[in-house]
Amino acid sequence: MIGRYLVLSSLMFALGAYGVVARRNLLIILMSVELMLNGVNIALLSFARLHASSSGSAGHVFVLMVMGVAAAEVSVGLAILIAVFRVRKSVDTGDLRSLKG
Amino acid sequence: MDLVFAVAAAVSVVAGFGVVTQRNPVYSAISMLVCFLSFAVIYLKLGAPFLAALHVLVYTGAILVLFLFVIMLLNLKPEELGEEYSALTKGILAVLCAGLFLGLAIPLWQEASRLAPAAEPPAGFGGIEAVGKSLFVEYALPFELVSVLILVAIFGGVVLAKRKI
Repeated sequence: MIGRYLVLSSLMFALGAYGVVARRNLLIILMSVELMLNGVNIALLSFARLHASSSGSAGHVFVLMVMGVAAAEVSVGLAILIAVFRVRKSVDTGDLRSLKG
Repeated sequence: MDLVFAVAAAVSVVAGFGVVTQRNPVYSAISMLVCFLSFAVIYLKLGAPFLAALHVLVYTGAILVLFLFVIMLLNLKPEELGEEYSALTKGILAVLCAGLFLGLAIPLWQEASRLAPAAEPPAGFGGIEAVGKSLFVEYALPFELVSVLILVAIFGGVVLAKRKI
């Protein structure tokens, strides 16, 4: 019953991981990170539903924390992207090799 | 088979594929919108109406608009979108990610079938009152720490994106 929600959450996590490693556009990499975080959120909510009790909803609070972290991550990530684009005129990760030895 | 779950899951998987395969970031962002809306339906199915509402507000209302804003701000021409990895590299990475999926899904499925099936949740579970009580009583310190994190992120965003301070 709850297992298929967990399968969906692992599928979204794996899809996001594919987007992070197989794409070179920084914008799409950031969107894929969002997909991964959402996959984790579904897993957290599934287990919160599985262990539902009246004593508290720790799983729901955890999802709220993940949402806060995701919002902070996106704002900083997009600011870095704008700064990189201003210097390099590119959003391709293949062009960002100034740290390569 | 639960029809609502089946439709929402199918839509979110198709839209998720759209996010990671589309060449144009605008199409990816629109796929992400569809994906997030079907996630909200899944949150409702999991007995979390408050978080479903927050998800729509935060993700489609703030994060997606921020993505679209940056896409419009950069105004990328088709030749500026960057190169892609070769089909062979993408295939190998897809196989690896399929392995990651199986490695996550199989233990989770076994764990879920080993545990007792979910009982009917208590009244008000996942509502704004239950979550708010947990958040402001039991988890007040982490909540405050998240607000500090967001404050730091605001400063970071301004410092990074501004030309001259």
